Amino acid sequence: MKEIRLAIKIVKTLIKDRMQYPDRLFVDTTGVIARCGVLLILYGYVYKLNNGTIGGTTFLFAAWSIFFYFSFSVLRLRDISREIMKDVQTGNVEVLFGKPISYLSYRMWWQFGSSLYSFVIITILAVIALIFIIGLPPTMTVGIFIPTLILTFICGTVLSLFLYAIVGLLAFWIEDINPVFWIVDKAVMILGGSYLPVALFPTSMYKIALYSPFGAAKFITHTVYDTWQTNWYQLIGLQLFWIILLGMIIYFMFAQAKQKVSVNGG
Amino acid sequence: MKELNFALYAIKKNIQSSAELRTSFLMNIIGMSINNVAFIILWVFFVKSVGIIGGWTAADIIGLQGFVATCYGIVFSAGAGIRKLADYTASGAFDRFMLSPKNLLVRIATSSFGVSALGDLFFGIVCLGIYAFIVHAAIYQILLIILLVFTSVIVFLSAAIVIYSTSFLLTDASSAAGGLFELFLTPSLFHGGAFQGIMRFIFTFALPSLLIGALPVEIVRDVSLDKLLLVIVLAIFWFVFSINIFNRAIKKYESTNFMTFGS
Repeated sequence: MKEIRLAIKIVKTLIKDRMQYPDRLFVDTTGVIARCGVLLILYGYVYKLNNGTIGGTTFLFAAWSIFFYFSFSVLRLRDISREIMKDVQTGNVEVLFGKPISYLSYRMWWQFGSSLYSFVIITILAVIALIFIIGLPPTMTVGIFIPTLILTFICGTVLSLFLYAIVGLLAFWIEDINPVFWIVDKAVMILGGSYLPVALFPTSMYKIALYSPFGAAKFITHTVYDTWQTNWYQLIGLQLFWIILLGMIIYFMFAQAKQKVSVNGG
Repeated sequence: MKELNFALYAIKKNIQSSAELRTSFLMNIIGMSINNVAFIILWVFFVKSVGIIGGWTAADIIGLQGFVATCYGIVFSAGAGIRKLADYTASGAFDRFMLSPKNLLVRIATSSFGVSALGDLFFGIVCLGIYAFIVHAAIYQILLIILLVFTSVIVFLSAAIVIYSTSFLLTDASSAAGGLFELFLTPSLFHGGAFQGIMRFIFTFALPSLLIGALPVEIVRDVSLDKLLLVIVLAIFWFVFSINIFNRAIKKYESTNFMTFGS
């Protein structure tokens, strides 16, 4: 109960802060326009050149899949790695360890709350714009779509936080986690279906995306395709498997990390 | 000449300082190089999936990444201070640069060193080498690559100066400058052949994203003198424009006069 109260307090405080200082909203909006907006215009042109179909997929499906990737990225869950590294490098971790809260839980809720405002605003506006400009694919109007979308969104959020928290925890052992972060981040970018929608993946790459935590963190990009209606439970099952596995890794890593910290008091 | 000597001295000292943490220094360079491979993988798969668009093949993608990474690496390794301009002005740290007898822009640019950008530079050079090898570049094409790296660096530097000069115009410009820079850089990494019509016009003339990668690749591939002339003229324009904007923007700066005690 105490944990939930703390989580709600963190998220509410951060949303109020972001509403007061909307500069992050500006950055996120330009980021989505620069990446997703330009990319969708280019894909529109490319699909037109290929008579509207590439690899059996139309622009409508590819566009929504790409949009889901970039919309999810607005949450900036990956930044948890650098926040943990910053805590370790500045010694802030010592202060946070001394408080009666779970450090990792605090960091994860903080990360989730810090971009939630931008995420909600940008997603709502972009969804409306996309519906008007390109329309909705039929797969997004079936009854199962919304519940499974929410489910895979929650699992993807938890999985992303776990994945990047593991990278962040490496800061207790190595002085600079950035090189590891870049590699993990790019693996998520490639296998998540960012610039290349999952429907256009070659078979081998699709299998890697399916069975690795990097691709599983962005299974939300799979929800727009026909296949989702038959294999959603398998994909969500895979997400749950990775959540349990990475959760166990975090648990053991954090236990080891705590032993490396000496809190001196003040 | 005196300013150039100062810049080289500052860069040398910055490298020596960064290299003190040897493991971190090397890991940053290697990590960034591996990181950049992701873009090649993505766009090569894109070419395989959608076929050749605008005459662009997988080799051209390697060339594109090579040009962009090289100019990014050169500008943001030696001149990483430009990216900190927003922080300098917001925190009042910019005052110390104004008091320096050296050229202000050179002093700001060389005030910081980007270790990871060395990884970009290394990656870019390797990509350009591979590109030249794949397309069986003749001597004049290799000379064109060298010339175009030079123009790309000028355009990239100019764009960075213009974008980060907004730091003098806004109260806390860090976010705005970051957003604008992303708007400039991200399209430069996209498949150049997919930019046609109005999009090509916008990202050539309004935002010079295509000038640093896509157009240089097309010039080397097609040996297009028209495009070469266009890139050179636009590079000169952007450089003069950026210096002008910087000098005008700097007049808007007001010292924050921090009342600090001790440090």
